Amino acid sequence: MNDPALPLVPAATRPKPAEAAAASRGLDGLNLLVANIQTGFGPFISVYLTTQGWTQTAIGTALSLGTIAAMASQIPAGALVDAISKKALVALLSILAFTASALLLAVQPTALWVYVAELLHGFSSCTLGPAIAAMSLIVAGPAMLGLRLGRNARFASIGNGIGAALMGACGYYVSERAVFFLTAAVTLPTIVTLLPLARLRDPVLARRREAGDVPARVPVLSLLTNRALVIFALCVALFTLGNSAMLPLAGNILTKEAGNFASLLIAGCIIVPQLVVAAISPTVGDLTQRLGRRWVLVIGFCTLPIRGILFATLGHPATLVLIQGLDGIAAACVGILVPLVAADVAAGSGRYNLSMGFIGLAIGVGATISTTLAGWIADAFGAPTAYVSLALVGVVAVLLAAVAMPETRPPT
Amino acid sequence: MRAIGQRRRPAGVIAALIVALAGIAIASTAIAQTTTAQSAGQPPAEPKPPDQAEPKPAAPPEAKPPPSAEPVVTNNADSVLGKKVIGPKGENLGLIVDVLVDTSGKPQAAVIDFGGFLGVGSRKIAIDWRLLDFSQLEHGRTVELGFDRAQIQAAPEYKPGKPSPAVVTTPPEPDATQKNP
Repeated sequence: MNDPALPLVPAATRPKPAEAAAASRGLDGLNLLVANIQTGFGPFISVYLTTQGWTQTAIGTALSLGTIAAMASQIPAGALVDAISKKALVALLSILAFTASALLLAVQPTALWVYVAELLHGFSSCTLGPAIAAMSLIVAGPAMLGLRLGRNARFASIGNGIGAALMGACGYYVSERAVFFLTAAVTLPTIVTLLPLARLRDPVLARRREAGDVPARVPVLSLLTNRALVIFALCVALFTLGNSAMLPLAGNILTKEAGNFASLLIAGCIIVPQLVVAAISPTVGDLTQRLGRRWVLVIGFCTLPIRGILFATLGHPATLVLIQGLDGIAAACVGILVPLVAADVAAGSGRYNLSMGFIGLAIGVGATISTTLAGWIADAFGAPTAYVSLALVGVVAVLLAAVAMPETRPPT
Repeated sequence: MRAIGQRRRPAGVIAALIVALAGIAIASTAIAQTTTAQSAGQPPAEPKPPDQAEPKPAAPPEAKPPPSAEPVVTNNADSVLGKKVIGPKGENLGLIVDVLVDTSGKPQAAVIDFGGFLGVGSRKIAIDWRLLDFSQLEHGRTVELGFDRAQIQAAPEYKPGKPSPAVVTTPPEPDATQKNP
């Protein structure tokens, strides 16, 4: 649902075909390598800090600091990215912050420097995601954005899968510390992928600079009271609330029941969804155009209650890995829809990245509550009850998406 | 956009927020004093003398042992927090994350973060201190346990804060509990 008052991105500001092809390949590589880097900053940090003699409480403090930094900076970081025309520059600085953060963790795992690394990583994650989405929008244009985001999701999931395998092997065969040197090393080729994207400029900012008659950016409040954006943010927050504790919970059960193969099966639980995302993302991107955003959202959300019920009823460890494939469907749908719906709502308004930050904040809140809530339910009532509870949250998300979410696909 | 495990899972949100704010305060005052910051962030769950020592003290300060202590071989004392625990066949079982002591300060059990992949899905299990062999600590920097994964995987999870944590004492009866006042 594009507000008629908001000007669409004009075709003239898009790059020429040859440049667009190079930019497209740049985005492929960028998505792959960034996902690869983010694997190193995941839950593995707590394993690493443990080997450095950190207490569990101190680790919790450092990780919470990172979470708080990421949540607090979502919206300001979005506004910042909106205001900078050279999105590749934003991406470059964010990636350099990742390099610094990984090196700090590897070289100086003492309290202050780990806090600094967590803050750096938290903030630059919030600028990098929107910058990639903004460059995708400039390269593909609003009409083809769904397909482009499908490609982004495909390459990101390949990067996640490779990252999990690479970092897992590195931690196991070399050392925990080496994982962070490897992460820092991967940031260098990532910078190379930015070269074909260096000339992209924000079309909204460009037009405002050229002709003074273009209306100012829409006020922030009118955006944050946009029904589609608020309902969508609520939907993905609910989905994340039901979703993000599923994997840790399943992993915990696997460690308890699967004996010597547990770590391998958990690795499977992480990698299988990535394979599914890689396989189906382009199709999902296409479906967002043909079926519309709302139905893709509903389909993706439906896999969550199914997964919760299957987890709760089918106890066999090997089946858990297969059921995790459903997570791939949901991840593909949500991963594509977040930047897409934000573009539907805010492309051309000068508030695209702010909208993404708003949705990112909603996801962060959902994820934070999810693991705490599920852990508490699992402790008190057992894992099956926790799965069913998460499934019920998923049902609410499905209903909200089906009933309240307006279709945002722009008319063609 | 969506990384593995969706990042970060703090144990108790509100508690974590408070601890994090405390952490910032600590960081701003105590620059580079790692061990200070770590032990300052520690709620009074249980006292644990071994981790109050510096990460790698060749010789702990003389003030550490009780006044009437017999002369222990202080030259070989080492930190155990974060050390790998291996099974009889050399398999990696996990990392020591905590030490439980009784009122006299004697170690009763080691809490091991067991299993998982890249930090996902690990469980904390308390193992009777006497079952651990620390003789390789200075050479291989590992602690040995006579059980393999299959024998301890089903042990009840260690929950900090519970008055009587379940401690694995022998392989057949992993549910034997032990008072830890």
